[in-house]
Amino acid sequence: MTRNKNVIEVEGRVVECLRSAMFTVQLENGHQVLAHISGKIRKNYIKIMLEDRVLVELPPYDLTRGRIVFRYRN
Amino acid sequence: MNTKPFSSGLRENAVMITRVADRQWHALDDDLVVGRGYAEHRSDGRLFVGIDAWHDATFDRLAEAMLAELPVPLYTVVDEADVELTAGWRRAGFTVRRREWEYVVPTDPRVTGLEAVLPPSGVTIVPAGQADESLLRAVDRTIRDEVEATAGWWQSMPAEVIPFPEGDTIVDPSKYAVAAAPDRYLGLIRVVTAIRPRIGLVAVRAGEQRRGIARALLAHALGTLHRSGFAEAWTEVHESNQAASTLLEGICARPMSSNLELVR
Repeated sequence: MTRNKNVIEVEGRVVECLRSAMFTVQLENGHQVLAHISGKIRKNYIKIMLEDRVLVELPPYDLTRGRIVFRYRN
Repeated sequence: MNTKPFSSGLRENAVMITRVADRQWHALDDDLVVGRGYAEHRSDGRLFVGIDAWHDATFDRLAEAMLAELPVPLYTVVDEADVELTAGWRRAGFTVRRREWEYVVPTDPRVTGLEAVLPPSGVTIVPAGQADESLLRAVDRTIRDEVEATAGWWQSMPAEVIPFPEGDTIVDPSKYAVAAAPDRYLGLIRVVTAIRPRIGLVAVRAGEQRRGIARALLAHALGTLHRSGFAEAWTEVHESNQAASTLLEGICARPMSSNLELVR
């Protein structure tokens, strides 16, 4: 887990692709969060799919939600 | 730096909207970043905006601050299934400019039915990396001029297929396979494989269409991907491009989602 510029970021793996452009991501600590994708990922047409390894930003108030801000190459 | 306080409704403290760089904004609740906004010029010169916020109120305030300081027109891209985000941009005055379908395209010739597809007589397929660069640039330029003279790029082509201001749109010639006549190229296909293969462009000269050249280019490109171990590729098609949709659905490609380009 990293905390840069007051942002909590955690690595995880996409375990479910949901409707409404949402994903279930299993974090490295075993917890699962409901995540959507960041504007930059969307703008750059980066596809998020099942089993992708991703970096998730967590909100300061609610650690059950997240935002996918990066997709790793493998 | 420009800061604007407002009550987030989340805490008693006020959330501050702060312009932290030329085209970046932060929403801060105490010292926590609870939202971010940015604006970026794409290579076609258009200005695209984006906002990542955890709450609608934060989104709205970021949008308000950004739109007050940025010139119009402004563009953004959303997944149509993302109802909340789309609603946020609509509240900010954005309207739908274009819709693109994302297709997943199988590569297995037994699934696509492209196993026996050959180019028409007198036409050969030149694999990616082997095309003559000057002929490739010539056919690319010709096709883009043809489209520009008819439907226009902004109206008919996928959001990523854009004219570069300098006029040269071939960034990496090695990504293109072409359909070649003895004296010139007739069509081209661009496939880029970063993690997953993406078909960025399939195009044929206006006078050479309806001869099966696009289908032959697809057969070649998908067959190559299949032999390389990729089961699927993906691509985008503008909703009004019935010919492209028919071509893709004819090879068992499936529309998976849709993107909206919004403008204000």
